[in-house]
Amino acid sequence: MREEATFVSAAPTHEILQDSPGTRLCLLGNVAIARGALEAGVQFFSCYPGTPSSEVGDTFARIAEEAGVKFEYSVNEKIAVEVAFAACLTGARSMCSMKHLGLNYANDPISTMPYVGVEGGMVIVSAGDPSAITSPNEQDQRHFCKFLYYPVFDPGTPDDALRTTRYAFAFSEQTRLPVIIRPTTRVCHSSGMVTLGKLPGGRNEIHFDKDPSRYVPIPINARRMRKELTERFELASTLLRESDFYPRRGEGRHGIMASGVSYAYASQILDDLGLWDQVTLQQIGAYPIPESILRDFLGAVDSVLLVEELTPYMEDWVAEAASRAAQQVPLFGKRTGHFPMEFEYSPDLVEDAVRQYLGMTSRSSLSVDVPELPELPPRPPVLCPGCPHRAAYYLVRKVFGKNTTYCNDIGCYTLGYGEPLNVCDVLLCMGASITQASGIARMTGKRTVACLGDSTFFHSGLPALANALQARDDVTVIILDNFITAMTGFQPSLTSNRGDRGSAGRHGPSVSGISKMRFSIEGVVRGLGVQDIYSVDPYDEAAMTEALKQAKSAEGVNVLVCHSPCMVNERRLGHHQERVPLRINVDKCNGCSLCVRLLGCPGILVSGGHYMIDDELCVGCGLCANVCKHDAVEPIAVEKI
Amino acid sequence: MSSPKCESDAKGWRILIAGTGGQGALTAARVLCGVFVRRGHDVVSGQLHGMAQRGGSVQSSVLIDTGISPVIGAGQADCVLGFEPVETARALSLMSKNTTVYMNTCAVVPFVVGQQLALTRAGAGYPAVKDLIDCLKKVAQRVFSFDAMQRAFDAGSPKALNMVMLGCLLGSEALPCTADEFWTTTLKTMPSKLKQINTAAFFAGVEWAREVGNAAVEASGS
Repeated sequence: MREEATFVSAAPTHEILQDSPGTRLCLLGNVAIARGALEAGVQFFSCYPGTPSSEVGDTFARIAEEAGVKFEYSVNEKIAVEVAFAACLTGARSMCSMKHLGLNYANDPISTMPYVGVEGGMVIVSAGDPSAITSPNEQDQRHFCKFLYYPVFDPGTPDDALRTTRYAFAFSEQTRLPVIIRPTTRVCHSSGMVTLGKLPGGRNEIHFDKDPSRYVPIPINARRMRKELTERFELASTLLRESDFYPRRGEGRHGIMASGVSYAYASQILDDLGLWDQVTLQQIGAYPIPESILRDFLGAVDSVLLVEELTPYMEDWVAEAASRAAQQVPLFGKRTGHFPMEFEYSPDLVEDAVRQYLGMTSRSSLSVDVPELPELPPRPPVLCPGCPHRAAYYLVRKVFGKNTTYCNDIGCYTLGYGEPLNVCDVLLCMGASITQASGIARMTGKRTVACLGDSTFFHSGLPALANALQARDDVTVIILDNFITAMTGFQPSLTSNRGDRGSAGRHGPSVSGISKMRFSIEGVVRGLGVQDIYSVDPYDEAAMTEALKQAKSAEGVNVLVCHSPCMVNERRLGHHQERVPLRINVDKCNGCSLCVRLLGCPGILVSGGHYMIDDELCVGCGLCANVCKHDAVEPIAVEKI
Repeated sequence: MSSPKCESDAKGWRILIAGTGGQGALTAARVLCGVFVRRGHDVVSGQLHGMAQRGGSVQSSVLIDTGISPVIGAGQADCVLGFEPVETARALSLMSKNTTVYMNTCAVVPFVVGQQLALTRAGAGYPAVKDLIDCLKKVAQRVFSFDAMQRAFDAGSPKALNMVMLGCLLGSEALPCTADEFWTTTLKTMPSKLKQINTAAFFAGVEWAREVGNAAVEASGS
């Protein structure tokens, strides 16, 4: 029976705090994960933001205080995992979230945690990004399951995500294994119907009982732990066998096995085409896949189509198990060319494969001819109007010129890539701007430039800077401090203003667990031993240029810290500065295009040879006025906005 | 092998909202979800907002009583609300002859178009809106286009564009909710000034959709 659904809009930040079992809500996948954790009685939460995982942490930032959960935006993912793991050793149910790449950064503690084992349940949410929509790569975290002895859950819908998370904590305690939940973009960023469970009456008791043989994996203990790990991993398989994460539907002899959002697509297609009499659909919601579930399914069908994004992980698992059990069932998937090895699936792609598998008419022969469209102009991502990174890049490039190698990093400032700013010659991962600048400078004998933001600097730039210092590399490090982690949705960074850190509008009235301390990048850099430090406002052209010139001609490591707030965040927080609206005087502008060639600001419109300023987009930063050789950019007289 | 059914008997309503960042398309999707959840329907909604930002492409899907997939497949959209001509055209593959399209003809020209032309004298530029409409009409039988931005201005704010477009959707009378019911659920409780502008914008959309809907029925009847 269905309970009455509840309208979710008036107070969207707190709807998941209600204790009304059976209520149906339409929740974002990431928010459903947070609700599942609350239903399990989560006591500690840490994260480092990264698309598509960020909303899990942002949800906790809003509700943690009210829900009695200790919360932090950690400095990086390794730290998030370590703090959460330590918290679970006190008996607390702990959770941390990150994107797929964050899991790599945290891999060192992650690889030993299953050996030591948990006390309170511990759940790591690592969101995947098939098709690398917002990442430098796509990656299949399910491999951690075999590689490092982690049970991995693979939800297909927001409801799966909620139920999975709720289940995972007790399961983690029973097996003493930390577990990974791997939702992908289409689960994280889709909203769907979920049914709320009960909020818990009590929480785990907190105590840390000293027992070094249990918590210290020195070799003599590690070898004992290794044997226990095998047993605990087998227990995981046994427990999963009795869980709800392997539903089977349909009665046909054609088997389809699906994992993640592919299950939602496959199930929908079988519904829409009415194929349940021909097909049996088996969802794989968690790994390790229990042998008995596989055996039963393979015994009930004549063949299997395997539907999963990223790598043929499930496919190879099934092939291996079938071969071990001498079950000869034809398998179709990525290995047989039914699905591509790369990228996200779409419902259309899955439908094509299902039709091929069942010998049905192909979809393309059914569809009408699509007319040829005129060429549609792209809307590529660019730095926003008034972005201080543009001001900094313009001058960095002006002083260091086109022959310098520019090493860039992960954040909004990556958009210095390509025309017209051209300050991104190499890029790899968080913090690698400085290390790549080191390696290239040392080998070429030429000074290089590294550009990275405040959050990324603290994330992993610090050890890289120490390394460049000890090697005395000729590297100029430009730290673009805009006081916020902008690209992932304005999470506070260590340099955020005290007031902002406590009152980020989107994150509710208070971000609990965040210290009021504001870090000084200059102080930290000086402490490391950097002698040449320049503190500049990128909009102060004279001071910035002078600092850059000095940095260029000096020896060894020097650091420029560019302080200027993210304009979008300023607007969001209601810090309205007196905006000076600008216009381009048509009598003075001769259409030389210098502003466009140097800045590429979206606030400058060109139409029919005329240059104009888009009054809606322009924040009046005045960078184009600085660049213009004809003084054509001028303030619009006496107008208050 | 038995011959399976080829014709899809998909149920429910699949609505695609396409626009550019800052036009209020995501808000429109959220409002729509809220209303139908409150009315007891199962709603699934998805959006692509990875690198999206002000001025980027935005596509948001709202699926009512269709099932669990958050993505609209090729040709499956029942209705496309196009907040911007080029963004509407980008959704062409999701349309079929059964799709109803409401399109705002007021273009948001990507700044790169003008800047590229200025620098390189190359690039296709922004296509003629009429050409886009002709293409859409080759796929969908009901394509209704109008200057919705003007209606939003008339109602009091360009930011009310999303309400004009939602008005079209509710005025089409294709959904299990009347325009008045929708208004009662969403706009009635708003603070007065916003309420006035949004209400005017919403019903401007409703009226317009009813007019063009009736005209289309008459035309097909004659």
